[in-house]
Amino acid sequence: MNATVQTILEYAQRLVNEKVVGDSDMISIRAELNFMYITKAGVKLCDLTEDDVIKMNIFKVEKEYKYHSEIYKSREDINAICQCYPKWVMPIAKAGVTIPAVLDDMAQIVGPTCKTSADDIVSIVKTLKGRNSCLVKDKGCITSGRTLDEAYTCVLVLDKAAHCFVASSVIGENKIINGIEARLMRFIYKTKYSKKNQENLSAKEEGEIVSEDTSVKEESEV
Amino acid sequence: MAWDKETELRLRQVIKDSGVALLNENLVQGTWGNTAVRLDEDHMLVTPTGLDYIALTPEDMPVVQISDPSIWSDGKKPTSERKIHAAIMQARSDINATIHSHPIYCSILASARIELPVMSDEMQKLVGGTCRVGAYGLPGTKKLKNGTVEAMQGRNACFMANHGVFCAGKDMDEAFEIIRIMEKSCYQYIQECTLKATGQQTYSDELLFDYFVVQKTAPKAKKK
Repeated sequence: MNATVQTILEYAQRLVNEKVVGDSDMISIRAELNFMYITKAGVKLCDLTEDDVIKMNIFKVEKEYKYHSEIYKSREDINAICQCYPKWVMPIAKAGVTIPAVLDDMAQIVGPTCKTSADDIVSIVKTLKGRNSCLVKDKGCITSGRTLDEAYTCVLVLDKAAHCFVASSVIGENKIINGIEARLMRFIYKTKYSKKNQENLSAKEEGEIVSEDTSVKEESEV
Repeated sequence: MAWDKETELRLRQVIKDSGVALLNENLVQGTWGNTAVRLDEDHMLVTPTGLDYIALTPEDMPVVQISDPSIWSDGKKPTSERKIHAAIMQARSDINATIHSHPIYCSILASARIELPVMSDEMQKLVGGTCRVGAYGLPGTKKLKNGTVEAMQGRNACFMANHGVFCAGKDMDEAFEIIRIMEKSCYQYIQECTLKATGQQTYSDELLFDYFVVQKTAPKAKKK
């Protein structure tokens, strides 16, 4: 089996295991500059097989794959996308509000805030400018990354931050991490932790064999 | 070294098992937590930084000096949060095992920076009273370490603002009992607050969903 297809199947299963999927989730990985491997629209990630991962030219796609292709076209820094419907993100997407920096790991991995975009591809691309994730009004969320591992981690952290934000409506407002500290953490995460780690993972997702450098994971732990 | 090899081998296994147990009991979410166990007055074993607990062996656990956590030996690079574990062990001779993690319900209270009232006799017995919130500090900073030590005074657990929870016990089994009761008590608190806010009798996540959506959308509707 193609290594990229295998990676998609593996992460689809992980998303299912973590219970952060709904019924119409789709994940993809960029292949070369103008192609992507993507899960077939309408196939639930829990039922996904090798034959449901298809390769397509990002300039020649049908409507249901446009969310992914348009993001790849506009953002050369993005190599993987998760379009998911995690449980706790849903009420926020419905209300159409922005998730503030409620937790350290959110500030690091997702960013200081996560906005809700209108449900059209132009707005989504615009909302994603300078970011790697957003919510989609009345739908779910879109996360992206240099690797599928990064986009996947983002879904988990986003769902947890969303849960905190939703529950805070009954226990008292969230005390938000101040903007400068949140940006500082994001900066450190992006530069120190992830660069080397992502290079290794990226090579892995493309099927190369690399030695794992674990020492760079430290920042992700706190 | 003021401990024998047999004790060390046993505690190495305790640390290894604690990491796996955190995973199995769903007490780590999003990012890894970390644990520590005391060897003697000035030494502790901790989990290594950012590694898969399942793949770790007992021999991978580094020995860290409590009075100066920058000094370590005999294993893989220790967790970056070892300073907090060391500070608690130094401040409290009754503590021999510590857990820091980010389970979801504890994280919710930590993000709202709410002191958890005593929810049960079990919580009173294990935690020693309410669960306070330590001052917010960036990861790895003195402010975070000192805030945690202060909030732990006379208690066996505290929240770390916008971050997670810290638990400490006389041994690892007790530290686990504490993190379990913390997660359970936080969930109970959120359920009670949801019922109070909505005036309903039975909790469901959907009840919380709907309340949130109304809260966030209603004021806008009024403005129109």
